[in-house]
Amino acid sequence: MVYRDCAQQTIETSNQKLQNHDFNLDTALANIAHWLPAQGPIKDFIHHNTLHAVQHHPFHEGIAIAAKIFGARSYLPLTDYQNMFHQGRITQSAIDWAIEHSGGTPFEQDNFRNTLFEDDNTGHYPPTSLANHGIRTTWLTQLEIDLNAMVHPILFRLLGNFLDQGISRWNLSKTGEHFWKCIVRLAQNSLLPLYPFNDAAVHDLLSKKPEDVILYCLDKIVGDEQLYEQYLLEMLLAHPGWSGIVHVIEQKPNMLLARREISLKEMIAVECAIELAFLHKKKGEYFKSIAATPHKKGISLLKSTHLKPTIPLHLRIWHEAMEWSLHSELLLALKTLPSANKKRLTTPKAQALFCIDDRECSLRRHLEEINPAIETFGAAGFFGIDFFYQGLDDAYPVAQCPNIITPKHLIKESNSASHSGDKTKPKKLTHMHFTAHSMFRGWLYTQTLGIGYAVKMAWDVFRPGSKLPNIRALSEVEHHSHLHLLRESDELTPDGYLLGFSYTEMADRLSGLFRNIGLTNNFAPLIVIVAHGSSSVNNPHFAAYDCGACSGKPGAPNARAFAWMANHKAVRAILREQGIDIPHETRFIAALHNTSRDEITYFDPHLLEQNPVPNLPAFEESMSTALQRNAKERSRWFELAPKSESIETTHAHVKERATSIFEPRPEYNHSNNLYAIVGRRQLTRDLFMDRRAFLHSYDPTTDELGDIMARILSAVIPVCGGINLEYLFSRIDNSVYGAGTKLPHNVIGLLGVANGVEGDLRTGLPAQMIEVHQPARLLIVIEQSCDIIDKTIAKIGALKEWLDNEWIRVVTCHPDSHELFLYSAKGWEAIKLPKDSKAPVATSSLDIIAGQTQTIPVHQFIRSHA
Amino acid sequence: MNGLILTSLGLPLLGFILIFLSSTNEKKIAAISFWCSHAMGFSIIALLVLWALGGYQNHEYQWLTLYETDDYSFPLLFYLDRVGAAFLFCTWAIFSIIVKYCRVYLHREAGYKRFFLTIFSFVFGLNLVILSGSIDILFAGWEIVGIASFLLIAFYRHRVQPIRNALRAYTIYRFCDIGLLLGSWMSHMMFHESQHFSQLADLFNNPSMPPAGYGSLLLVSTLILIAASGKSAQFPFCFWLPRAMEGPTPSSAIFYGALSVHLGVFLLLRTTPIWSYHYLTRASVFTIGLLTVIVANISEKTQSNIKGKIAYSSITQVGFMFMELALGLESLVLIHFLGNAFLRCYQLLVSPSIVVHLLRVEGSADADFYIQNNAKFQFLPASLRNTLPEVLQNTLYVFSLQEGNLELLVRSILWTPLKGIGAFINKTNPWLKLLFSVTSLAIIASIIIVSGATLKYLALPVSVFMVLASLSAFSQKHSPFSVWNAIGLSSTLAGVAIWFINPSALFDVIIFASGIIPAWALGIIVLAKLLKNNNFTQDPFTYRAFSETQPKLSLLLFLSFLGLVGFPISPAFLGEDLLLSHASSHDPWFALPITIAFVINGIAAARVFQRLCLGRPLEVNIPEIDILT
Repeated sequence: MVYRDCAQQTIETSNQKLQNHDFNLDTALANIAHWLPAQGPIKDFIHHNTLHAVQHHPFHEGIAIAAKIFGARSYLPLTDYQNMFHQGRITQSAIDWAIEHSGGTPFEQDNFRNTLFEDDNTGHYPPTSLANHGIRTTWLTQLEIDLNAMVHPILFRLLGNFLDQGISRWNLSKTGEHFWKCIVRLAQNSLLPLYPFNDAAVHDLLSKKPEDVILYCLDKIVGDEQLYEQYLLEMLLAHPGWSGIVHVIEQKPNMLLARREISLKEMIAVECAIELAFLHKKKGEYFKSIAATPHKKGISLLKSTHLKPTIPLHLRIWHEAMEWSLHSELLLALKTLPSANKKRLTTPKAQALFCIDDRECSLRRHLEEINPAIETFGAAGFFGIDFFYQGLDDAYPVAQCPNIITPKHLIKESNSASHSGDKTKPKKLTHMHFTAHSMFRGWLYTQTLGIGYAVKMAWDVFRPGSKLPNIRALSEVEHHSHLHLLRESDELTPDGYLLGFSYTEMADRLSGLFRNIGLTNNFAPLIVIVAHGSSSVNNPHFAAYDCGACSGKPGAPNARAFAWMANHKAVRAILREQGIDIPHETRFIAALHNTSRDEITYFDPHLLEQNPVPNLPAFEESMSTALQRNAKERSRWFELAPKSESIETTHAHVKERATSIFEPRPEYNHSNNLYAIVGRRQLTRDLFMDRRAFLHSYDPTTDELGDIMARILSAVIPVCGGINLEYLFSRIDNSVYGAGTKLPHNVIGLLGVANGVEGDLRTGLPAQMIEVHQPARLLIVIEQSCDIIDKTIAKIGALKEWLDNEWIRVVTCHPDSHELFLYSAKGWEAIKLPKDSKAPVATSSLDIIAGQTQTIPVHQFIRSHA
Repeated sequence: MNGLILTSLGLPLLGFILIFLSSTNEKKIAAISFWCSHAMGFSIIALLVLWALGGYQNHEYQWLTLYETDDYSFPLLFYLDRVGAAFLFCTWAIFSIIVKYCRVYLHREAGYKRFFLTIFSFVFGLNLVILSGSIDILFAGWEIVGIASFLLIAFYRHRVQPIRNALRAYTIYRFCDIGLLLGSWMSHMMFHESQHFSQLADLFNNPSMPPAGYGSLLLVSTLILIAASGKSAQFPFCFWLPRAMEGPTPSSAIFYGALSVHLGVFLLLRTTPIWSYHYLTRASVFTIGLLTVIVANISEKTQSNIKGKIAYSSITQVGFMFMELALGLESLVLIHFLGNAFLRCYQLLVSPSIVVHLLRVEGSADADFYIQNNAKFQFLPASLRNTLPEVLQNTLYVFSLQEGNLELLVRSILWTPLKGIGAFINKTNPWLKLLFSVTSLAIIASIIIVSGATLKYLALPVSVFMVLASLSAFSQKHSPFSVWNAIGLSSTLAGVAIWFINPSALFDVIIFASGIIPAWALGIIVLAKLLKNNNFTQDPFTYRAFSETQPKLSLLLFLSFLGLVGFPISPAFLGEDLLLSHASSHDPWFALPITIAFVINGIAAARVFQRLCLGRPLEVNIPEIDILT
């Protein structure tokens, strides 16, 4: 509660500031920038909380404020929740729980209970908002000018060409040139006028500094200092995609491969100047400013949006009831877990380390089901090794770690085989069509090869999946190439990186990971490090399909680095000193799981040939069956997948999907994400969780101070929480928070996608990724006692905000008693689940999924060894 | 063979009707479109095989005559030759690929049915154009393709930008219809009974005796060239093509990558004898092609989005085709057309791959405008390559960035003055207008009576009023009723004028009116129902999305719109043709105002339809507190 009061106060003070002080451009820009989407270039898609701007508010208040700014929905339509209730996916006890936790008086609670099932088809509609009903609507309603329609195409063209990363042949920007300077150059130093900067008054403005231009234009256009900030905010929210990316690039210029100098201020200056020019053209020099035009009733004002937002209470209760229903399914299964299942394997034949990713949840289950002698672990998919990676053909190094870490090391791929490494290799015939744009080449190609494309097109459409895509994605590695890992000198590279790791650094990273996941003894003779990536074709959002813990890249380089380091004698010696004794016969093998095709590649086959690993063939066999079953389990979501029982047919279909140019859904990614469980595998091994859980291994007995948990949470909260909230908001309002349907998307400057040629960049996830998602907040279950977690929470700093404001929910599960406690800013609350209910049970995964097309509650397995 | 021609046309129409009647069930629609597209494919292939076995003879087939008077006939005439065969083959190949592609690509998309309906009507229109045996039939197909384009560009009707760009493309289409409409009228006038494509070549076979004077040949060639340039996005209409890429990617691929964009080339191929007769018209075709190649090629250089880039590369190639046509290289054009259609279609389909491709395979983030020693620039003279002065560079860049400023040019020449006149009329007091028209009519009538001239000169002021009424509809933004009424008035005046010109044409005028008046009345009724509880003048600029909230009424409004614009389903289509033919036989000058009025009416009606039926339903939750304050 203390926290809430505190937040309320800061808002009031900022309001006072707004009223009492003169307009200050920089402060205003800082306030405004806060509201812009934080999505970077599409090549590294990093999931984050879409509503980071209101994260310092409690969840429901935050989304209500955001709704008033962006004009978005906050919840699903009421009928969706009511239908879920009728289907039994929302339970009565969860509704009771939600009403009890709503904080209303008993009278109000009764009132809710009585009115929950009333019809309401419009309650989920967005409120009046700055973005849709602000002062800028005056242009259209009073002055009859569609200013956005005139300004946007011109502004987007200039921005697109300035920031372009390689689509256009002629670059607009010169090295080191700022956006404003560049526009001024074109407008002043060209024989042809740059429309609409040829307007005399605006042309004179160009010699001024951007901030002066903004103030001048605002004075003309708005006319009242009180409204300046709101006007600018509305102007930017009319094209959130471009404003957002400009802001991101201003903050982190090296997110772009080719550097561009641009700032929000320059963009606003250009936009204001264009607006002024059009107003001059349409209404003459002396047009009426916004302040001079009588306001219409019902216009949203910035100062009023921060006042207490209106939360649609019924929807809030329904939403919480839905979340609690889904969350209790897991909690119930955990609480009633038979104690016989809690033993760790004593003599595992093989161990496999997977990424925390929810897509590996089912693969691990199948693998263990098929071969109980395999033990699996989960950790963030960069496996504790953070570095920049540059493959042989890569023009630039890319970060292979979560977004929050800035690596210092650079790893390059080197090749032992005869690869000269030069870039002038002959172009393949199949790629010709990418270059057939210029006049003469185009003429030549269309006259000669063009008809051949009829055949190619027909082949691609009628026989998909007959070959692997021939364009490789970033960070995809040839399985026989070689990574240059060991650092030979401490000299920095020209870009300021350390080239490779020293043995001590390697050992530190390995021991950190081993301790995190609680694997410090009982090593199996074979340990497979399974990274994951996803192959898809014709998919600009490819990065959102890869490993979230590797900044949207496949984790293959990390897995290979890990295996190489862990196999190295010198590293093992240091580890032994630190108390981690890896037996001599233990071998680490790196592999890559292709999540869309459900295939696995084992790396360094030449080493395996020289020095075979005895347990590997058995592991490979179990793995290939597990992959087939995994494909079967995934395909239950695909409406067009063959409904036959044969597991091979389904696997073939899944592979075909990944290589079809006409398939907008190569896989459903994190669509099912809902839980994150940090604990020993024994806790989850006998649960069927329907691919819904991020699983991180952790040994509660070795972490009395909560330090290890703090390390784990500092990756789990932003990565898993970010994935969860991005899916949630993209699902709840796909047109505002999401990217809309994928089908008309057009790639702009390699930066992002837009609708059509002159559209705004779309942020968030496309409809095809989120359509089957149930938008519930993430539930993190931690196998640890509350006391230790209290210590942990004190150590995670700003991330505490996520928990206190309930952007994610945290439950602890006591390691021995399995008692469950729910975290809230007020303290721990013991969770009471309905006494008579029990988690459903089953004997095998395939029985559970048969015939199911919706999400399935958590099941417990009855195993023969139980 | 004749039967096959009819099935090739009928099957897409059948597909359209079946899909229209079917429920929105995706599986059903997919099955219908699968069978219809394949049946159409078989029919086309059988037709082409038969035709080939018959020794590639040009084949003409007159099905029936729709309407006939002593000096006029409207036969349903079909024609197949080498050119038609190449286009038909391409249509079959691309359409069957796209149908299969979209089966999966559009899975679970809202508007699945709408999409397949539109592409089937598109293919029907396209086949009609390709197989048409006379310019009238061709015009019918041309209109169907235009409306299908409009609907597909606006497929994502929830967003403002596709809707706006749909109207933008439609206005260009409609303007260029002036060319085809007048062209068809002139061909009536010049070739009388022989507007058959099959006989065109023979007409010009005798060089010493051309079928018409150079002047009128030049005029008709120019008109045809306008129509072709508009449809194929040639100079000066290049700008609409990239902006039309708003629908789902495969629809852009089939329309603007492959088929629709080459219709201009087709038209020129069909009418080669007319325009190639004189070297001046040949030169103008060549010049249009050349200008297009220059503008489009430079514009392509700074396209920072992939679809725009493909669009401009395609326009460039079509420009080359125009040049090749002017040089008389017909076979080369056909090969070029096939190659370009397939290549661009493929490029558009795989356009989302560009990110991966450029980042990994090319690895080139910095493009080459400022980079020296690039192989691509080796053919430039050294002086230009290294020392291209900054000013020139900026100029070139600005030229490229603004795509030759063609849009502004077209807008300021064509639309702005018309809008200005229209706005002036709308501002004027209605009584003043009435007074003015009555007095001017009275004056002219008295002059006629005094001078003893025929009554037909009254057609002159009537046609002026007709154009003014159209302009008033064109710039009216505040009341859809006024627009509809103005269009109705303008069409009625057209009928009256014709009646003045040729009193014996009363029956034909009635045919025309039988299309227009019900459409107008239907429109007014539907508008009244749609806007019953809606204060239009309060928010004239919101898109009202009635096609979602009131789908049935919207469909009726759409039909009324089609009727008013003389779409080939309405008797008004035949009527338009009849009126024009009367104009031709008596007073050629009248063809111009009537065509202008038709075109502008179409745009005005389309705008009303767009404002009312497209857009996103208003979804705002206004809490009580907000209302109070």
